[in-house]
Parts: sequence; structure tokens; C-alpha cells
Amino acid sequence: MLNLFVLSLFVLIVFSGNAQLQTTDSTEVNELDEVIITATRTLRQLSSLPLPAQIVSSKEIKSVNSLRLSDILNEQTGLITVPDFGGGEGIQLQGLDSQYILILIDGAPLIGRSAGTLDISRITVGNIKQIEIVKGASSSLYGSEALGGVINIITENSKYGYTGNVDYRVGRNNTQDVSLTLGYRNDKFSINSFINRNSSDGYDLNKEDDLKTVEPYSNYTFSTKLKYNFSENTNLFISGRYYAQNQKYVASETLEGESEINEWNVHLKLNHTYNEKWNSYFEFYTTRYKADEYLNDADDFLFSEGDFNQFLLRPEIRATYIPNEKNSIIGGLGWNHETLVRTYFSTSPEFNSPYVYLQYDANPTKDINILLGARFDNHSEYESQFSPKAAIRFEFNDKLSVKGSLGYGFKAPDFRQLYFDFTNSTVGYTVLGYNTVISRIPELEAEGQILNIIVPISEFEKVLNPENSIGLNIGGIYQPISNLTLDINLFRNNIQDLIDTRVIANKTNGQNVFSYYNISNVYTQGFEFNAVWKPNNYFKLSGGYQLLFAKDKEAERAFKDGEVYARETPSSPSFQLDKDDYFGLFNRSRHMANIKTFYTIERWKLNTNIRGSYRSKYGLFDTNTNSYLDSFDVFVKGYTIWDWAVNKTLYKNYELGLGIDNIFDFTDAQNISNISGRLFYGRININF
Amino acid sequence: MKTINFLTLLTLFIGFSSCNNDDDSTTLLAVESELISNLHAPQEGGQGNPVSGEFTKFNFALGQTTTSDTDWDIAFRGTAIIVNGGVSSGGVDEPVRNGEAGAYIATGTLGSVTSIDTSLIIQDSATSFAIPTGSDNGWYNYAGPPTHIISPIAGRILVFRTHDGKYAKIEILSYYKDAPANPDAFVDEDGYYTFNYVYQPNEGVTSF
Repeated sequence: MLNLFVLSLFVLIVFSGNAQLQTTDSTEVNELDEVIITATRTLRQLSSLPLPAQIVSSKEIKSVNSLRLSDILNEQTGLITVPDFGGGEGIQLQGLDSQYILILIDGAPLIGRSAGTLDISRITVGNIKQIEIVKGASSSLYGSEALGGVINIITENSKYGYTGNVDYRVGRNNTQDVSLTLGYRNDKFSINSFINRNSSDGYDLNKEDDLKTVEPYSNYTFSTKLKYNFSENTNLFISGRYYAQNQKYVASETLEGESEINEWNVHLKLNHTYNEKWNSYFEFYTTRYKADEYLNDADDFLFSEGDFNQFLLRPEIRATYIPNEKNSIIGGLGWNHETLVRTYFSTSPEFNSPYVYLQYDANPTKDINILLGARFDNHSEYESQFSPKAAIRFEFNDKLSVKGSLGYGFKAPDFRQLYFDFTNSTVGYTVLGYNTVISRIPELEAEGQILNIIVPISEFEKVLNPENSIGLNIGGIYQPISNLTLDINLFRNNIQDLIDTRVIANKTNGQNVFSYYNISNVYTQGFEFNAVWKPNNYFKLSGGYQLLFAKDKEAERAFKDGEVYARETPSSPSFQLDKDDYFGLFNRSRHMANIKTFYTIERWKLNTNIRGSYRSKYGLFDTNTNSYLDSFDVFVKGYTIWDWAVNKTLYKNYELGLGIDNIFDFTDAQNISNISGRLFYGRININF
Repeated sequence: MKTINFLTLLTLFIGFSSCNNDDDSTTLLAVESELISNLHAPQEGGQGNPVSGEFTKFNFALGQTTTSDTDWDIAFRGTAIIVNGGVSSGGVDEPVRNGEAGAYIATGTLGSVTSIDTSLIIQDSATSFAIPTGSDNGWYNYAGPPTHIISPIAGRILVFRTHDGKYAKIEILSYYKDAPANPDAFVDEDGYYTFNYVYQPNEGVTSF
């Protein structure tokens, strides 16, 4: 591992040695084209990619007056945020949930997944240039977590001269959001600083209980990005971001406290172009995510507290080699160092993982693009991973192109799955991380807490496998006329070694000891269809649809073999279910759709839009005790959310906005905690 | 506890004794199929303390509960079910086993479990009961918060050998008093078993 690091430094020095052989900057791109960096880690025109990818522009974000990343992603085809029991909102993509989707800011990963979910509502969209979404396994470039896809938030760059922007939005529930952006740029230097404060009084969907659905909160985001060009060929990028949130934490009528999140990231990137063929980056990224919470009882004595403190450090070096117009190669070497301190952990674990990747991008003819890539992640705590990927795009003519990609993705077992050591104080059950079992079970046994062992400890001698997947995407883009684009993508993700919990021992108190193990094989498959019609510059209509089947193979077999039973009511006799009764995984809707219209009235300097998103029925948990989601379970009903916004520009630099989110006031107090009901808001934006 | 339904199946079985002699064939007793409602089996302790309290014993041949120390087949306390066979786990107030009872859990409906695989039958032991305790291990599922409901798992049929070597099968329908269609753990009293059972009163017959 240290050797790899030394090697990467060596490579950097060698590259730097060639610094004199410099000519032109080949990465200058016209910003009007939709250019994406996430898919290949090189700038590529979106329409030319052999992978399913999508860009959400700042123009769209501004016209719909979004505040948080969760707001805008919920309106994209096939994406939905799912509330976590901890209060966060995780993204679901191609039926894969938050723990399998890598979230990046300017190419660097966010951390802080307390139970696997990365809460994307903590990300403000106030200073975003665009959001890039790449679907399908992408571990060949990004390693762990990029099993289902990658979402990369590209922050805004400053324009020439001094610029500034103030934005304020206020809405129902006293939700206030204020941002200030200051920028400066000249030929050599640019800086962009951004401050955001977001707060809300929260809301209560169910007035009958003592708890609010969302407690009041406030958070701050500070970020600064600096770019300096030493010369035409050498430039430096430094960015820093700090996020802090404070929220009231109420567990019951008598237990009350606070939860606090503190997160920072520092990202440094040095880029040098040696000549028209060679280009290199040295990147250094470090981030810390800290979450603390406490509860006091009615007498103000401390009842419980919890903390979560994760740290990541990642140096990486990468180089691109472009021998000619038809071929390009990008390669990288890096090292992940990760630590976590957390309540209920047996140790303070440390992960070390050096990695190397290589990608070859070729255009053998002008109609064909081929992408071949692979990455190797070595790891201290679980089996090393080799993640290859191949993709091809073929262009029949200007109107029709097809593409296909096949890739491997993995998600490393997280700290919790390896090191958890938790005993529920009121009920008495115990959850042990996989690596904790060998030492902890004998201890519990010695204390007389174990009645009998169900899974022998020897089974935990082998390391836990990362969850892994093979993802296939086949699609095409058809433009029958110039202002109409039809885009279809069929997908299938075969996920293996999914980590689940099982009972490993019975306790003398009648409860169980649980631990993690590789068990399920699941798949998600379906297709996504998007259509955009833009007859002129003033009108745009778009629609999207996703069909999804997300199923567990073992469950499918059990239904097929007639091993699954249900009851009409909890107290009526059982009957047998057949294979058509299996619905699939929890929290997956078979159908999701959206429709959006954007309309600009030039004469009044006004733009307006109406957007609707639909989600069909889904099950949150098994309600008839057979542990599967079947047609006799209670489902969450399908629903549609409609939003409307209007924005008017005044005197060139002022913009006023008004809107209603969730026009028809849809709520489901019992099942959906993150939809707050109808929300009126007003907004003002000033450029200076 | 009361028996609210007594239904005798008229199915008669032709016995096959070890020697295939027609002269030996005898008319067998009718299989008994009944519904037991509100068998009350409370427990004391729990919540970190040792569970205690008398087990409510049941005898299939009688079709009702019993206080006999010997002529009982199975017994209930809270969510635990024990059999009169094997050895005691040493728990507080646990009765002595002096019969040959045993049990296993079959998958099916009460009607579809028609023959007994005697090789699967196990007895209570010092470390575990023949019907395992704990959510999802045996006959029930505990939903946890917020509902805290205990529901019998669909498709789990408990097959028993009685203390005197006959066989029975039961399907538990409810753990709450009067078997409400949609029980509420905060309203309905628990520890009241409602179950259907089928008892095979003929010695050595392993089918229903």
C-alpha cells in the first residue's frame, strides 16, 4: 500500500519532468454543448456517450426553484428519494437504493452513511452548474458504491470580473433559504464563494401522536472554490466546503434532545498539460462527517447519546494520454484511507485501500465509439475487487444511434456490517458486525447470555464478500425530427452476495443475536423512456417513464415451489400463494413517470412551468408475516405530485419567483414522511 | 377456555398392519378436528427478568386443558410452547417432562399437511425447545415498534406427537383475546391462543 503511494508520487515526478513539452490546451470546450465528465472522467459530449447518462442543468434547477438536491432529483425519470427511518432521504436509481449510488461533488465522494443511506437533502443546489447522472455499474472508474450509478454535482464557476448573487426563498412551514455567492475571475485566477442558510420549522403530518414528522432544523453550507492558472498548461484547483446542521431530536413525549451534523471537505487538484498527448492530475481529497445526538429525559438528565465520526483521505494521481484523435487513455492510481469512530462499535476501525484503474476510449470509425475500462481495488478488510467494464455506441445516422454497456460494480461491506456491537437496552436483542462475532460470542457465552448457537463461529473465519453486481444497459436515441428526441434504455442489474442479517444465536433472555452474512441474489430490471419535444425556443415538453421489476431470486423460487403462505386477516387460516403473488422488493414501484412543460414568454420576461411526477403503489414492509411482499400485503397507494413555478425578470438583474409545490396537497402521514403537503413560496434573486 | 366447535370427521381409515391379512383389519377411530379459542397462557416476568408463571397444559385426547402432571401433551406460557417429552431447559416454573411427546414445524395449510414425517420430530432439550422461541424462529412473528403485534406466521403448521405416542397438528390463528381480525397490541389482551387442531387418536397412524 505504501509502495503504491510512493509509486504514484514517482509517476507524478516523472510526468512533471516532461513539463517542457507543452503545446495547446485541448480541453477547451464550448459550454453551450452538454458536456459531461462523470461518465469517462474526461470531458465528453453527452450525446456521444456509450453509457446511459443524463444532465440536469442549472437553468432547470433555477426555473423550478429547487433548494436541495432531493427536490430536483425527485423530478428525474427513474429517480426517487426514499425517506430513511433516521430522517434522511436516500436516492433510488434503477431500483437500487442509496447505498449503491455514489454521490460526488466535483468528482470527490461524499461520506457519512449512518445506516447505508446518504441523505441528499443535506446538499444545497444553490451554486450548482449541473448535476450529472450516470446509470449502470461504474466501479471500473469509481470503485466501491458505484454499483448502481454515480451522481456528480458540478459546482458553478465564476464569470469574468466581479460578480455577486443573492437569493432568498421563503415558503410554508417557515422554510427559509438564503444564499450569497461572490465571485471574481481573470485570466489567471478565479474564486467563487458561496454561503447558504436553510431552515424550517418542520411539519407534522400526524397530529394525533406526540411527535412531529419533521422537527425544526437549520443548516449552513459554506464553500469556496479557487482556480489558478500558473501557465496555459498548469492549473490548480482548490475547494473547501463546510456543512453544519442542527435539528431538534424528539424520541417521545419525555425524551428530547438535539442532533448535529458537521461535515467538511477539502479538495485539491493540480492539472498539468505536457503536450497535446499527455495530461496529468494530482488530486488530494479529504473529508470528515460527524453526527452527534443526545436525548435528555423529563428531568433533563442524559438518557442516551450517539456519535458517528467518519474520515476519508484520498490522494490520487491520474494521467490522460491521447495518441491521436481516435484514441484516448486515462489511468489513475490512488489510495483510500478511512476511519470511523462510532457508538456501539467494538473497535475504531480503519480501512486502507489502494487502487488502480485504466480506461481506453476509442473511435475506430466515426460511427463507432468503444469504451474499455477496469479497476482494481485492494483492501485490508475484505476481498479485493476487480471491476471491468465495456461499452459501445454505434451511430447509424444523424437520427439514430444505439449503445450498450456491461460493467461490474461492487459495494464494500460498511463499517457497521463489520464492527457493530449493539444490544437493545429495552428489548434485549444483540446485533454483531461480521468481524466482531468471533471475539464477542465467546464473551457473551462466558457471561451466560447465550442459550444456544445456531451458526457456528467458524463460519465467520472467512471474510465477508462485498456486495457485487453485473449491470447491463442497452439503449438508443432516436431523433425523428430535429426538435424531438426519444431515448430508451433497457437495464438489468444482477446483484450477488447481498448482505443481510440473520439470527446466529439464541439468548437466554428469549431474544436473539443477529449478524450479517452474504445471502441474497436479487435483480432489478426494466426500461426507462424519455421524450423531449422542443418545437421552438419558448416551449419545451418532456416526459419520462420507468418500468421496474426488482426481485429476490430466492423469494421467486419459494413462491414458485409453493412454500409461501398468507392469511386474509391476521386471524384467519393460511392459504398457499403462487408465483404471480410475489410483488418484489420493498419500496420499489413498478411504474414511475413524470411530465414537465416549460414555457417562456419573451415579451414579459417571464418563464413558467408545470411538472408532475407519478409513483405507482409499493410495499414498505411485510404486513402478513410471511416475510415477503405479496399481493395480499397492505401497499402504499400510488400518487402524483404536481408542482408549478413562475419566474419574472425585472431590470435585467432582478428575478422574482412564485410557486406551489405539491399543488393538490398530497400527503400520506402513515407511510411517506418526506412529502409535506402543499407548499407556497416566493423567491427573489439579485445579480450584481 | 371453551370449545366452541366440535366437528367430527367421518373419514374412516383402513388400517394396514404389518401383516397384510384382511382378517386383521379393524375400524379405526374418527380423526378429531376442533377449534380451541382463548386458551389463556399468561406469563410473568420478562423485560430483562426471568420469565415465570405456570404453563397452561393441553391434552389432545381430552380436547381441553389439564392440570395433570403426567397426562399433558403440550403446554403454553406467553409465546413459548413446550412438549411433554425430552428434558426441561431448567427455566422457572417449567414442568417435568415424563411423556414421549415431540414436535416439528411443517410448512403448509392445516389441510395440506396430511402425513407426518416422524424422522423430523424432536423433543425439548436442555438448550432449546422443540418449537423454537423468538420472533420468526417458531410459530410467530413479533413486529416490533410501532405496532408490537405478535402474529402467527402464515403456513406454519405445528406437528406434535402426544405424550402417549399419537399425533396431532395445529395451526395457531391468534395470540389475542377473541381473535380480533385486526388485533391492536395496545388494546387487545395477549396470551390468549386461538388455534385449529386435528388429532389422530389411533395408535401408530401417521396420516390424517
